[in-house]
Amino acid sequence: MTKPQYRQRAIVQREELSEDYFILWIWDEDMGALCKPGQFYEIRALAVFEDAPTSVSIPRLFKPISIYDNQGGRIGFMIKRVGLGTNALSKLKAGDTLELIGPAGNGFPLAEDRKILLISGGAGYPPLWYLQKKLIGQNKVYWIHGGATGSDIFPCDEMWTEDGSIGRKGRACDDLENTIKEREIDLIYSCGPFGMLKEATRISEMYDIEHYSSLEAYMACGIGVCHGCTVPIGTKEDWDYLRVCKEGPVFSAKEIRWEIM
Amino acid sequence: MGNNVMKQRQDAGEQLKTSLGVLKMKTPISVSSGTFDLETLEFYDQNCLGAFVCKTITREPKKGNPPPRLYETEAGLINSIGLQNPGLDMFIKENLPRYREELSVPLIVSFSGSSTDEFCEMLEMLEAQEGIDGYEINISCPNVENEGIAFGTQADVVHNLVSRLKPLTKRELCIKLSPNVTDITEIAKAAEAGGATSLALINSLYGMAVDHQTGMSRIKMGVGGYTGMGIKPVALALTYKTAQVVDIPIVAMGGIYDWKDALEFIWAGASAIALGTAHFVNPLAAPEVMMGLGDYLLNNNKSMNDIKGACRFS
Repeated sequence: MTKPQYRQRAIVQREELSEDYFILWIWDEDMGALCKPGQFYEIRALAVFEDAPTSVSIPRLFKPISIYDNQGGRIGFMIKRVGLGTNALSKLKAGDTLELIGPAGNGFPLAEDRKILLISGGAGYPPLWYLQKKLIGQNKVYWIHGGATGSDIFPCDEMWTEDGSIGRKGRACDDLENTIKEREIDLIYSCGPFGMLKEATRISEMYDIEHYSSLEAYMACGIGVCHGCTVPIGTKEDWDYLRVCKEGPVFSAKEIRWEIM
Repeated sequence: MGNNVMKQRQDAGEQLKTSLGVLKMKTPISVSSGTFDLETLEFYDQNCLGAFVCKTITREPKKGNPPPRLYETEAGLINSIGLQNPGLDMFIKENLPRYREELSVPLIVSFSGSSTDEFCEMLEMLEAQEGIDGYEINISCPNVENEGIAFGTQADVVHNLVSRLKPLTKRELCIKLSPNVTDITEIAKAAEAGGATSLALINSLYGMAVDHQTGMSRIKMGVGGYTGMGIKPVALALTYKTAQVVDIPIVAMGGIYDWKDALEFIWAGASAIALGTAHFVNPLAAPEVMMGLGDYLLNNNKSMNDIKGACRFS
């Protein structure tokens, strides 16, 4: 696997998606050739901190952001404003510089001739967009996406909102069992909030379906050094804390020890 | 780059040399245990470093603390990793050969024991290995022989531990001090009297963060270690105070982000500095500190020795 590299790249385009979401596009053919769906970059706005006392309150750590799209080196990061770090990113415009460390992480295992279900919630949408581009054609793919409000909803096959403003009212997993049976699903990829992933895992276990989940975690280094982003992975009896940034972010869902997270 | 600039860089190279008790360093830049590894060296040429310090190893493998283990807080970072590591046997079998192969700078092995005997056993096992230039003794861990009170908090315990370790090695024996004590200078003097060849300070301060809305601790274990920009004044003061009472060299750390921070610690009495949280904030921190320090020394026609401990008050 390619080791993560440090780069500074100009933002070539900024795209506004909704109230809470935006996309930052950069251009780098070499990086594009290395990226796989499910991998991420640690990114940060390039800022000059020298002699700036106000910098004390500026978040300084890089933030792990999944690769949303890669069009031969035109790489997109679809970002939700959640905290200070992503808010700082949201202020960037075309021409500003991003610092990037990556591509990092293992990425999703790809498949052929399968009946695939993608299930995402909120900010879990972006990595599955890049993934489905690689899956469509070789597989049957059905995508369920849910969010709190319409602002969290993006193109897919089946939409759910908790407030009922778009698509079906409820949560992405609410009708999952029927979908699995009707579409004879034999492979699931998921990314989203903890509760959704846990529920999707419970159901995929019940039907004994191969299932890969992409997890998120607080990170400092993003390259496997600091052990800050670990999650418990293994069997009930024998598990270890593995790094989301290095052994992950994609894990076999049945190996994630949800009960102790 | 013109020839003159290249020549200047070489001269700066001369001026950047420093030494600990045993170890000669090509630059005064080291790394704080657990914040740096071979992965970081993908970003630049490792020769800007005077030494490489590995993540702390314990005798047996440690799973580490439950997550969340990290929180970015005011002017720094709170961590609660819990010394997750593969244990000494695995370290010797797998990590050490990789370090030997990939490192061209001195390797300092950081390790920690749960009793004085265990520290000694670990040191003897490491002494049997080639390619190690020194040790950083992490004494911020609980001592099972002493009701779990951290080794580093009691001067007599530190003196006894270092006295036991000293006869076992001729390599650099650097004791890493915790700031979470009543008087760090007492601990420093005890380590020196026991035979330490250098001191590393400071380890992380206690730190905590709570979600003000929900009351939930940001870190699963509650209290973690606070590092980064916010602890720099504390680290600087403790470096200065310690340098006043010991003769052995000090590797100073705590919120050093750039070459100006590094210089402050050298003025205060440090022979070398280590970058920690800075790596997460600026992946190129180490080479930038080297360039900045080199330029400063060259432009002011000074060596490391000229400024070490030469901080002025009038």
